Parts: sequence; C-alpha cells; structure tokens
Amino acid sequence: MEWLALVLFAVIFIALLVGFPVAFTLAGTSLLFALIANLFGAFDMAFLQSIPSRIFSIMSNEILIAVPLFVFMGVMLEKSKMAENLLQTMDEVMRGIKGGLGIAVILVGMLLAASTGIVGATVVTMGLLALPTMLKQGYCPRIASGTICASGTLGQIIPPSIVLILLGDVLSSSYQQAQLNQGIFSPEALSVGDLFIGALLPGMLLVVLYMLYIFYKAMTRPDLIPSNTGQAVAPGLTSRVFKSLLPPLALILLVLGSILGGFATPTEAASLGALGALLLAAVNKQLTLTTLNAVMRNTLQVTSMIFLIFIGAAFFSLVFKGLGGDELITELLTGLPGGVFTAMLIVMALMFILGFFLDFIEITYVVVPIVAPILLMMGVDPIWLGIMIAINLQTAFLTPPFGFALFYLKGVASNLKTADLYKGTIPFIMIQLSVLILIAIWPELVTWLPSLVY
Amino acid sequence: MPLSPFFTTLLTYFVRHQNQLQNKFGHFIAWSSLSLVLITALVVILRYGFGTGSIALQESVMYNHAILFMLGMAYTYQQDKHVRVDVFYTRYSERTRAWINLFGTLLMTLPTMIFIIWSGWDYVAVSWRINETSAEAGGLAYLYLLKTLILLMAALVISQALSTAAQAWLTLSSAENVSPDDINNNQVDNLEGKL
Repeated sequence: MEWLALVLFAVIFIALLVGFPVAFTLAGTSLLFALIANLFGAFDMAFLQSIPSRIFSIMSNEILIAVPLFVFMGVMLEKSKMAENLLQTMDEVMRGIKGGLGIAVILVGMLLAASTGIVGATVVTMGLLALPTMLKQGYCPRIASGTICASGTLGQIIPPSIVLILLGDVLSSSYQQAQLNQGIFSPEALSVGDLFIGALLPGMLLVVLYMLYIFYKAMTRPDLIPSNTGQAVAPGLTSRVFKSLLPPLALILLVLGSILGGFATPTEAASLGALGALLLAAVNKQLTLTTLNAVMRNTLQVTSMIFLIFIGAAFFSLVFKGLGGDELITELLTGLPGGVFTAMLIVMALMFILGFFLDFIEITYVVVPIVAPILLMMGVDPIWLGIMIAINLQTAFLTPPFGFALFYLKGVASNLKTADLYKGTIPFIMIQLSVLILIAIWPELVTWLPSLVY
Repeated sequence: MPLSPFFTTLLTYFVRHQNQLQNKFGHFIAWSSLSLVLITALVVILRYGFGTGSIALQESVMYNHAILFMLGMAYTYQQDKHVRVDVFYTRYSERTRAWINLFGTLLMTLPTMIFIIWSGWDYVAVSWRINETSAEAGGLAYLYLLKTLILLMAALVISQALSTAAQAWLTLSSAENVSPDDINNNQVDNLEGKL
C-alpha cells in the first residue's frame, strides 16, 4: 500500500492549485486522506496523535525565532528609505560605465540582501525607483525587469536569509537522523551559521555573473542598453556615497559579522539588526506611529502565514510517514543506477519543477525532510546540499507563473507587459542554473570557506 | 441559494462583528513583534555587554514568539494573507472564489482545527494537572499556559473560519454581486504582505 503515499502527494499538489490557502490545504487534505485510508485499514490514526507535540516543538524552536525578527528588520528597513538613498548614489557612481544603472541595481540588491533577507521589499523598492529611470534611459523592458527581479532574489541566497534559516532548521534534523540511522551515536551538528558561511562565495559568484551579463549586453547591444551620457553628476558625491553606504555596511557588520564571527546566534543577531533598522528609521525621521503599526502588522501577518504552513506541513509529513512513504522514497532513490549523482539530479529537477508552482516554504518543509536524510546517508555533504537547494529555491522566485519576485514587480509596475516580465527572467534563470552546475562540479565553492572557519 | 432576509441579517451581523473583533485583537497582538525585538535585543546586550543573563528572560523570548504567531494566525486569515497558489485563483470570478472559500473552509480548515482541539485537549490537560514548568532551573513556571496557546489558536481560527464561510455564502446567495469586502465592512488593513 506504499503507493498511496505517492497518491497523497499528487492529490495535495492538485488541491494546492485550486487556490485555497496553502497551509489549510496541506493539513486538511492530509487529514481527509488519512481518515479515508484509515477506513480501509491502510493508515493507523495513532500517527496523527503527535500533532500537538509537533506544534509545541514548532513553538519552542529557538532557530525559528529569527524569522519574525528578520521580517521585522526587512519591513522596517524598507520604510527607512535606506534603499532609496543607496540607489541614487550608486547610480551616480556608475555614470559613464556601460550598463551603469543596471550594475548599480545589482549592487544595491547585493547590499540589501546582505543586510536583510526580504525579497519583496527589495523588488518593490527598485521597481518603483529604478525601473522608470531604466526605461527612460532606453533600457529594453525585458532586461530592466529581469535585472530588478534577479537582484531582488539575491536576498534569498546571500546571508542572512530566511531561506537559509529554514533550510538550516530542516537539514540539521535530517542530518541528525541520517547519522543515527548509520549507527553514529555522537552525530555532528549542522548550524544555520554553517549554511550562511557556505552561501557567501556562491552568492558573490551570482552577483559577478549578473554584472558580467549586463556589461556584456551593454557592450554588444547598445540598442538594448544605451550608455548614460546625459546628466552630469552633482557635486559632493563622495560624501553622499559615504552617507548612503554607512547604514547598510553598519548593519552588515552588526548582523552578518556577529554571526560569522561566532559572537551571536542568528536569532540574537537578527534582534540587533531589527533594533538597528528601528533606529535608522528614527534617524531618517520616518518613524511615526502609523509606520510602526504598519511594520508590526505586516510582521505579524508574514510570520503567522509562515508558521501556519509549518503546522500544515506537520500534518502532511505524519500522514506521509504513516503510509510508508519514507521507505518508498528511500527505495526509489537508493535503487537508481548512477548512485548519488542520479539521486541528486532527480531531487534537484523535482524541486526546480515544483518551484514553478509552489514557493520555498512548502518545498522546504514538504520535500526536503523526505529526501534530505536519504541523500545525506548516501554521503552528500550537508552544507553543499543546503546551498544547492537554496540556489534552486532562489530560482523558484524567478520562474513564471508563480515566482514571488515577478508578482511583486508586476504589483508596482502595472504598465509592464507580462510577456516581457516573463521573458526577461530567462537569462537570469540560465545564470542560476549554470551556478548550480559549477557548484556541482566544484563543491569547494561551497565547502572551502566553512572548512577555514572550523 | 436565496436566504431568508432574517438569516441574511443574522449572518451579516455575525460576519461584521466577528471580523471587527478579530481585527482589533490582531492589532493588539501585533505589538508583540515590537516587544520580541526589544526583549531579544535586551538579552543579547545583557549577555555580551554586562555578562549577565537570566533563563527566565530568555524563555520569555520564546513565549513572546509563540504568542506572536499562534494568536496572529486567525487575524491573518481574516486579512486573507495566508498564501495561496494563485496561478488560477486570480483569474476566477468573485462567485468561483466564494465557492472555493466555502468548501475549503468546511473541508480543510474546520476539520483540521477540530482535530487539533480534539487531539490537543489531553496534551494540554495533562500539562495543567501537573502544573508543568520549565525543565530548566530558573525557567518560567507557565509551560501549561504556553501549551494552551495550541487550543486558543484553533478556537480563534474556527471562529474566523465560520465567518469566512458565512461571508462566502452571503456572496453566493445575493442576487447582485456583493464583494466580500462590502460584507467585511472594509476591515482589511492596507498592507503589502511581503517576504
């Protein structure tokens, strides 16, 4: 009866497409499926008895406390006008360089990504500020929108990022489980900090490749990316650059520095970052009661949304396990010709395809807990696996029709044609995939830095 | 599905007041995001700045965090901010969406939440009976209250689910196209929910 687990997976996928909230669909469909299977003796309801303790373990999970803190920080930073100032000065610095504005957008995306980890805020801010300027300078709409979306998604791979925190949470328990299954009773641990360090080089590599692409296009196709020779730079640029770079660099030093330096846990660093964002907004005279209320309510909504999906995913994983799905997937993945390579390839391809329809939270909590322990038992390095998955999920932000980044940009740039928006992401999706291949060939890109630190 | 005028009035009354309460409660709970930031930062500053700390303060961070998302779930539902796969959903008419929300609520949300209460009741009751406290010395003595959040969350979501179902039903039963926002009496906070 193990095939029922695959039926459950298919039924849930179809049910999700109907459009009822994801968390309720995950929980409700799994529960109904369990009740029906129970009638035919194919499922033991005792499996679901641990739901309350599963919910409690989500409530008392220390790693996940970082999530609301980083959300608060990201939403607050958006209100603090930091991105606006950055974008303006970076644009001025890049005047005269071919594709300067595009490169400025990527640089700002990188700086925002390293200070917080919220994609939506970055895409919306740049969609409002940079897109009109790019179009006015004569950028081809496809390249302009693709650059903005891709730069926004950098927040998901460059630490600190919410994707890496959630992956760290899931992978650390998968890693423990895999080692226990192999009879290792003093298992090594995997921390969110390990993933953060591992993501640094691949993140930088993406930034460099994005910029090279824009530069190359600007050189070969000046009709698509005209060089900006028009306005002169206003005097006092150096001091303005300094002023606009100070806040993000201070936040990066505070948050990322304290995590990578081993002084603080991601949760502790996130609270300092959130406090920093609050102070920054106050200094920039943006902190009113209305703003504060909006930030707090937005944080509440996003956090509740994410954590309800965790509860829904707990229902799914218990029913999937109760139907014998874990054994089935183990058999399928370990019995493949070509061993680890084929297993990894299939998992990556599955995630890439699911990424067209689902977002990273569902994939992280529904798919990763099933496949990660198996891959880890086959000898895959946990940090490398985490970064491969993270880049794959980051790509999901860009893939139409359900890429978050595309929605956010469409939301603020309604005159942009949907076809242009979709096609503009293609070169950047290609860059993402080539980075995945590069990391697959040279895992040292991920594992070298963590090996230096520990 | 035309409803009797009395029943329509009754349902509308319920939806409006339920949503208003849920909305106000959510706005109150939202403050816990600010206190989470401040208390967590305080813990860090005390530890690294002054070399002191207390387990009770550290655990209050966890309590604060749990209150934030457990009691915010129903409010988020009222605001319709639980993420949907909207590949098709955005293209549906108001009526089709109402059908989806009606059946989704009855088949997915309500059974899930009833199951959580049913299976969680003993789990929480045992904790109350033994006055369960933190396993750590010097920790907070209110673990049974923390666990009670599971039941409170489910109860709040059930209340909102009934309202959402009633709202969908009102949309379906009205001859003219009443949008859910009219029934909802504009109790939707105009925020951009971003991640």
